[in-house]
Amino acid sequence: MQQRRILDEFTVNHELLRGNLATPKWWLPTVLGLLVVVLFGFTLMGIMFNRGLGVTGLSRPVYWGLFITTFVFWVGISHAGIMISAILRLTQAEWRRPVTRAAELLTVFSLLTALFFPLIHAGRPWRIFYWITPYDFARGIFPNARSPLVWDPFAIGTYLTGSTLFLYVALLPDLGVLRDRTTGWKRSFYTVASLGWRGNPRQWRLQTVAGILLSALMLPIFVSVHSIVSWDFAVTPAVEGWHSTVFAPYFVVGAVHSGVSAVVTMMALMRWLWGWDNYIRPEHFDALARLLIVVACAWLALTFAELIFGVYSLEAPERALREMQMFEWPWNLLFIIFFLTGFAIPVPLWFFKRVRNNIAMMFWTSILVNIGMWLERFLIIVPGLSRKQPFVFTWDSYQVSPLEWGLLLWSFAWVMMLMLLFSKFFPLIPLFETKESQVFTTDVQIGRVTMPAVIRELD
Amino acid sequence: MATTSLITDAPDDRPSNIESTALLAGEGRTAAGTGLKRFMWLLAALSVIGFVGIVFRFINDDGRQDWGFYAATLAWMLTIFGGAPMVAIAPALAKANWVRPVARIASLGAIVTAIIALLMIPLLFKFPALTQFSEVLGDDVRRRSIWFDSRDYAPHFWNVLILLTLALVGIAMAYVMAIPDFAAIRDHGTGWKQRWGKKLARGFYGRPQQWEWLKMRIGITGALYFAMLLYTNFTFSLDFAVSLVPGWKDSLFPFYHTISTFQAGIAFTIIGVWAARRWGGMNKYVGHEQMWSLGKFMLATTLLWFYFFYSSFIVFWYGRSESDSATIKLLVSGPYIYLFWTVFFLVFIIPWWIMIWNKVRDSVWGPPIAAFIILIGLFLDRIRIYVASWSAVPDDLELATTSILQDMPDTMWPDVFDVFIMVGLPALGLLSILLVTRLVPLVSLWEIQQSRLITKPVRFLRSHVQLVGKPD
Amino acid sequence: MVTAAERVSSHKWGMVVDVDRCTGCQACVMACQAENNIPLSTEDIYRQKRTFAWIRVERYWYGDFPDVKARFIPIMCQHCENAPCEPVCPVFATYHNTEGMNVQIYNRCVGTRYCANGCPYNVRFFNYWEPVWPVSLRNQLNPDVTVRSRGIMEKCSFCVQRIRRGVREAARDGHDLQDGDIGTACTDACPTNALVFGDYNDENSRVSIMAKDDRKYTLLDALNTDPNVLYLAQVDATGGAIGGHD
Repeated sequence: MQQRRILDEFTVNHELLRGNLATPKWWLPTVLGLLVVVLFGFTLMGIMFNRGLGVTGLSRPVYWGLFITTFVFWVGISHAGIMISAILRLTQAEWRRPVTRAAELLTVFSLLTALFFPLIHAGRPWRIFYWITPYDFARGIFPNARSPLVWDPFAIGTYLTGSTLFLYVALLPDLGVLRDRTTGWKRSFYTVASLGWRGNPRQWRLQTVAGILLSALMLPIFVSVHSIVSWDFAVTPAVEGWHSTVFAPYFVVGAVHSGVSAVVTMMALMRWLWGWDNYIRPEHFDALARLLIVVACAWLALTFAELIFGVYSLEAPERALREMQMFEWPWNLLFIIFFLTGFAIPVPLWFFKRVRNNIAMMFWTSILVNIGMWLERFLIIVPGLSRKQPFVFTWDSYQVSPLEWGLLLWSFAWVMMLMLLFSKFFPLIPLFETKESQVFTTDVQIGRVTMPAVIRELD
Repeated sequence: MATTSLITDAPDDRPSNIESTALLAGEGRTAAGTGLKRFMWLLAALSVIGFVGIVFRFINDDGRQDWGFYAATLAWMLTIFGGAPMVAIAPALAKANWVRPVARIASLGAIVTAIIALLMIPLLFKFPALTQFSEVLGDDVRRRSIWFDSRDYAPHFWNVLILLTLALVGIAMAYVMAIPDFAAIRDHGTGWKQRWGKKLARGFYGRPQQWEWLKMRIGITGALYFAMLLYTNFTFSLDFAVSLVPGWKDSLFPFYHTISTFQAGIAFTIIGVWAARRWGGMNKYVGHEQMWSLGKFMLATTLLWFYFFYSSFIVFWYGRSESDSATIKLLVSGPYIYLFWTVFFLVFIIPWWIMIWNKVRDSVWGPPIAAFIILIGLFLDRIRIYVASWSAVPDDLELATTSILQDMPDTMWPDVFDVFIMVGLPALGLLSILLVTRLVPLVSLWEIQQSRLITKPVRFLRSHVQLVGKPD
Repeated sequence: MVTAAERVSSHKWGMVVDVDRCTGCQACVMACQAENNIPLSTEDIYRQKRTFAWIRVERYWYGDFPDVKARFIPIMCQHCENAPCEPVCPVFATYHNTEGMNVQIYNRCVGTRYCANGCPYNVRFFNYWEPVWPVSLRNQLNPDVTVRSRGIMEKCSFCVQRIRRGVREAARDGHDLQDGDIGTACTDACPTNALVFGDYNDENSRVSIMAKDDRKYTLLDALNTDPNVLYLAQVDATGGAIGGHD
């Protein structure tokens, strides 16, 4: 099946710069609506700073709750970018091309969102510099390098820097195009931003080398970020459900699962909002869904290991925890929803080619996955804390406060607003990748069959 | 069209007489063929020594700890030969063309899994039951295992069954992937080979529907094999290592075991490619491209080995509870510390620094060296794990009642029978593969022919590139 | 300037809890509350599940009906030598001092609450709110003890203010510190002497003698935290020694 359309470069420029050179009608009202939610969220943060963390539902055994869950969730989403851009670039998957920019963007913005949560969740957020800055501030005390909470800022900071660079390097050729098509202050802005891009062979070679180098360098960071986030939990023997060796790969694979699903959601929205039917085609959803099936099955195997080893020890506290997590109201309901949305509904659906090629179905199933993945983190963090060791006097549960729900909502609005603002100034689908793909793909006639073909370098 | 005009035809200088080359290889008519025969006799002799080792192991048997090296050898064989077919499956699912010539070499590893399943039977007699001391401690006291409240025979019975299923699926996959080649043997071969080719080709004449079936069967057996391999690694590593050590609770271990299976499978395939070039006369069909791609994957799995090892290690090391410390001491810092560092260098550091260079990956000599080092390292790794856990608790009563390893065992050294076993059983595995290659071509004829159809050397502007078709 | 070698103390403070003597009267809880300016656990705070009790008395039912007995275990910060809360703190707000105590430095704390998750005994408390006392209780606050603001962790300090005062007064009066000179609020309040505080480095101190008792055990010893608080198991005519939570 050949869905590729042959487009000339004028059409590509015209269609992909639709959001930048003109403003769609829905853009401003949507951004303003999101801005209201975002400001509301910042107000909630202000209330929390002013009155203390008592306004959340956190309690004595459950010291970490929705904020940390959401932190892990957004760090997880951020794994989309490198998975799609770096890994698929290194394995030369041709279908990645229209997806890369959106995925990298999601990485940067979800990391920017994730960063908020541990910081606002600190008891005295005005002092977090003592924690996240490797400097002694005249106190004579550097941050404690043994604490996983100190590994986090390093990992996330490196990841954020790297993926921003990655995004920017891939943006350069497109900024050149924009510079040539704008006037006034916009032109000055793009002139500075495009760093003198003229598209000569040397610049292209450097840009390609930079892309490949960054891909290779980002891969270990990509793996380390969520591993380190998982070690926040796994190194703690005091909490029964957390001290599990499988956590690092489990979190990484789960992050890819939710991140790639988030990219699917975004692609469907991009196709609908900007009408980029020529670029984001069912075949791309098909390929992403195939990738997701593999990732989801790996994730299921790791989930299975995590749960079976929870019971394996046959020790009373661990059993009490698992009993609560899986069988006690309302956790059993959450557990069922988690399993259904994270795996049991979407993955069997993706086995059908018709579902994989149906954009609305892919949109909804990818949203389901992220509901499930959020619940997965919640089900790891909260029941573990509420059934901590055999001191039953301190067993208790956790009620999420409206303020916390509000900040969860804020995080989504914040990411969407950043995305929409970005889309106003920069193209969401890389122009140069699209044009390159036009050149690099063709048809080949074998016997009576015509099949799509790609050009590969000989090694 | 602007796009197609950039691509022009280039001269195709790829060899086309694949049938005659592949079918003549290993016929015994060449000098290499006689050498191969002598090598196989040597392997047969070693296998006999291996069986002698097993018999004397039974005679000189002081309990479970004596069988650690036997378990480690079986685990190593499962690691190599069970993992190799994954090389035939995974890239094929991603439609990678480079894998086609090596798919055969890789898939043949599945034959050995049947032998492993049979060799496991003596081990089962040494394997403690779930309710080992029920008359002393009562029926509800069971040792920790993933079988929980299952019947007493659960680990023994199911492990053999799982391994047999793995062997069945793997052999079915290897067979299905070879059917078109059997048809080629039937059409081009002579004598006993033709007769066998006719029998095994089962009326394959390359009709479109037959190709459809073939593709579907390869897909199904491949996916099943992957699932079974993961499952086998899961139960084998848990039953024969983790659950024998009180307090070793390591949910990542089955995956660590699996990832080293992939690593060893790739290493085995690389050595197979090297051997096929060196002695099988396949220089034209397998070479740089395969080494380069396999080398990348071997580098990736080598790094993953470290990642999986470290993920477990840091959780134990930071956790510092008594069972955490005991586990680290048993497997890393205690009686096997020198072995551990040897493993660490052979499996991770050295191959990493060999394979990180593109020049080395793109050679026909670099990857085999690293592969050989990795296979040796993984053997030592299996010894580190299995010998340690089989020697951990000589007293089954303790296994059933404590959740912490109390007495650290001493370093176990192999005696002469262990050496017989460690040499003989892998030789038996290799021999069985070589016997099969007497009939089955070492590279897949149809895969090479198909990849010749799908890929085409072309010129793109001034550079020589490849046009690769992507069939659905 | 004091060098690190000079700072090494000759003391190793610790506590022994004779569970056999504990009647569950909660006097220790009240004394600790009064001594250490612990925020009030009002009904409202209780409903929020954020009560404070640097020392708490856990109650367990032991035996089968009708021979059911209530058992009490006072649990406070175990001052672990190998404390799980210490390495996880990003800002060194909690660390181990040279006198065997696990100390919390309020000024450094940023309130990540990671230490509380790491503590298997659940003896660390977070100030979710700015603590308030009714007017009638304001003059009752102990001037020797910091009143903690919101957003930081707190926990049993072994009444460090009493230790410091005891050492200081002994130095002022020019005599050696005797066993029993320093008592924490809970040990002083305990009517049955179930709680005993002292110096393990003093071979003749009561805690050193009690630590040699066969009934000795530590809480959650499988976690290898090596606590400085020891427990002496309950002796029961019918049930024998009851060893904690096995």
